[in-house]
Amino acid sequence: MPADPNANAGYMIAAYIVTAVILGGYALALWRKAKGAGRR
Amino acid sequence: MTETPAGRRATRRGLGIVALGLLGLAGVYVLALRYTPMERFQGLPQKIFYVHVPAAWSAMLAFSLVGIASALYLWLRDPRLDLFAESAAEVGLIFSMVMLTTGPLWGRPVWNTWWTWDARLTFTLILFFLFLGYRALRGALQDPGERARFSAVVGILGLVLVPFVHLTVYLFRTLHPQPIVLKPSSPSLPGEMLRTLLVSVGVYTVLLLGFVMTRYGLGAQARLEGGEDAR
Repeated sequence: MPADPNANAGYMIAAYIVTAVILGGYALALWRKAKGAGRR
Repeated sequence: MTETPAGRRATRRGLGIVALGLLGLAGVYVLALRYTPMERFQGLPQKIFYVHVPAAWSAMLAFSLVGIASALYLWLRDPRLDLFAESAAEVGLIFSMVMLTTGPLWGRPVWNTWWTWDARLTFTLILFFLFLGYRALRGALQDPGERARFSAVVGILGLVLVPFVHLTVYLFRTLHPQPIVLKPSSPSLPGEMLRTLLVSVGVYTVLLLGFVMTRYGLGAQARLEGGEDAR
């Protein structure tokens, strides 16, 4: 175990946030396009 | 049955699957952070593994699907295969973005560098650029038949590159670790870590399915309504 187990936790947090933003953002973009297409 | 309801149905079902996948992703976060032990040497940054590896798996799967659909398009000339390839390529790029951002975030604390030009990383980046080129090519060609034909050739080139990217860690000396699950011998990972990884791979695959289905449905609607595509 590293001397401080929580060392570099920021990298992990950043990776989890980036993943959620990219995948969630793409899902939102598709949902908005679908909403727009449904209105036409 | 007309094509518009079919496109709408695919979009609606796809969005439902995406919603399930996003819920699953939240579950993976809880599983990885709360119920999976910390790796002895790397500490917390090792948990990036559970979002990075499934992203790489999904990107490679999506790009393989592009290549297979492209080859089938050149054989059968069915425009639905071209639309499927276009959809899978876009989704592959999305998962590649996850892979290419979480990788350096893992590399910095573990390798002490954000990026290194070793074979695995470089060829993965080349594959990403190849599919960016695929999208640019599709945007540049106006004639639908010509666009489908030319982009199918690029899609097949991408398919050829996928196994090569997987094998780079065996063919070259690289910093990137060798596969721990997709290899001839049994997985070299403790049970709880393997469980979390496999759950995450499953969730990412559900997301991939939902994204491709939604994008395909939107594309089918756009094509029928006279627009060229759903971009």
